[in-house]
Amino acid sequence: MTISRPDHRALAEALRRRVLDGPGKTDRALRRAMAERAAGGPAVEAPYDDLARQIGASAVAVTDEQVARVLRATGSEKAVFEVIAAAALGAGLLRWRQGIKALDEATDAPA
Amino acid sequence: MRLHEIERGDGLFNRLLIGFISLVSRMRLPDAARVAFYHKEFFASPMGAWTQAAMRGPSPWSVGERELMAALVAKWNSCAFCVGAHGAVAAKEMQRSAVDAALLDFRAAPISESLKATLAFLEILTLRPTALTAQDARAVLHAGVSSEALMDAIALCALFNIVTRYADALDFAVPTAEELGRAASMLLKRGYAS
Repeated sequence: MTISRPDHRALAEALRRRVLDGPGKTDRALRRAMAERAAGGPAVEAPYDDLARQIGASAVAVTDEQVARVLRATGSEKAVFEVIAAAALGAGLLRWRQGIKALDEATDAPA
Repeated sequence: MRLHEIERGDGLFNRLLIGFISLVSRMRLPDAARVAFYHKEFFASPMGAWTQAAMRGPSPWSVGERELMAALVAKWNSCAFCVGAHGAVAAKEMQRSAVDAALLDFRAAPISESLKATLAFLEILTLRPTALTAQDARAVLHAGVSSEALMDAIALCALFNIVTRYADALDFAVPTAEELGRAASMLLKRGYAS
């Protein structure tokens, strides 16, 4: 039996769709804004902006207070988890897009 | 761990499961595994599916080489938990001395030239993603890396730029060296699918 190679493009898109477009405790618009902000995009409303920007730039420097402020705003740990996951995903998918763009251009493959 | 619900598990079943696994493994279940049980349909399921494919699916890279790449991405992102966790898995599949040397300076480490070229690409992708060019990709291809292998490495790099960020934002506890060794055996046996 032949085991096929992973379809990374489909797996990346499935992850993006679920976290940014799927149902959750938080608004989809907030999750998408967190993902964009962590990838260098425009500012989000307080207190989310500080956390998204920090996760994108250097997550090791995230503070207890940054997370606590978002917890007070959302009132739910699941909601905090969703916005943290969305910001982390945004930074990761920026790398995915940039890496694949460089590879596609180098091999003249369709994007 | 900054979110207590992840620490203790959401729902009775997950709380019992976390307690049971900690008991039989004789160690605190690492925070990465607790996240894998939490709000699963939202994140852990699609994240686990891609991570399992990238880290354990068919690839020109060995499991040890992929784990080493993950550890290096973690190093560039200053994520102590992931450096420890994936360095420990790599060390079970490769020489510990080669893993330690690569974590110190991959360009001088006793690893293949194709892996060094790929790591140089991943370093730019992690630290300066918008500066990456087709020329950087060509340099890897010219070092003998296939486009499939480079795509696998890009996927892995993207994934661990996600993992390291939520690990640090949530403030994962860093296990002891002995615990990392035991967790590495579990990760090799069970993989990443959630």
